[in-house]
Amino acid sequence: MSEPDGYADRVGREFPGGEYTLAPWRAWLTADALLDDPYDEVPHPVLAWMAGVSGWGLTWDEFFAWFDATADDGPMFGEHRTTLYRPLRMGATYRVSGRVVSVERKVGRKAGTMDIVGYELDLHVAGDHVARCFNSIIFPRRSA
Amino acid sequence: MSQHISTQARDVQVGTEIPPLELTVDPEKMKVMTALLADPNPIHFDPRALAALGMPERTVNQGPLNMGYLQTMLARWAGGRDRLLSFQVRFRGNVLAGDRVRAQGTVTAIEDTERGRVATCDISLVVVGGAEVLTGTADVIIEE
Repeated sequence: MSEPDGYADRVGREFPGGEYTLAPWRAWLTADALLDDPYDEVPHPVLAWMAGVSGWGLTWDEFFAWFDATADDGPMFGEHRTTLYRPLRMGATYRVSGRVVSVERKVGRKAGTMDIVGYELDLHVAGDHVARCFNSIIFPRRSA
Repeated sequence: MSQHISTQARDVQVGTEIPPLELTVDPEKMKVMTALLADPNPIHFDPRALAALGMPERTVNQGPLNMGYLQTMLARWAGGRDRLLSFQVRFRGNVLAGDRVRAQGTVTAIEDTERGRVATCDISLVVVGGAEVLTGTADVIIEE
């Protein structure tokens, strides 16, 4: 079931953006956290999204606040897509840009009212489009 | 690269099962990911916060770690992390500290493209003895 929400004006809002350097120590710790090989010279593909949300120019709290939410509300991942036009490179500095692309209010029988926010992030290096990630995040609205 | 279980492209066909990847989720790795992501959500590191939310006092694995396990499985099978072209998942449930999870997948299509021979795969992450928590699809290069 869907119903109108109060956040439609956020669709299209651009993130401040910024840069992210895929430093070897970040790649090492990420691979290790995944119980994967930290000595692989190719960065783990999950770093595409991590680069995006580390270089988008916002903190998570600031992003949540765009939707009147906080970390204490228990936001959850909904869907994720990564498209890699080129492999990630160790040591590269990526220009990060992105935007909110969708907002939808839903009411689930068990979960209750929630707002589902979709955003996408782009990584570029030297004019080349390296990756695009889409992610949706679910904000529970227990008081709605 | 090391520890890759690279595939022989000529042996891959529709229906081929990707060698599964099983691991046990370590709560200490969630703390590393929290720091890497500057993620303030306490459900990933603070059992007391979970109790306050009425949740079991086992920390909740980050979504990027869950999807990273699937990407690791795909990269090892395809012969490298640089062989992942696209990846799409829906998050259907939580993975908790101490859970044993299995990443698995099956080839559903094979196509010759300008980037090489590409396998499209259905993929999922399951909690062993429990629920399916991620489902999706991915495209990987199996022969350049």
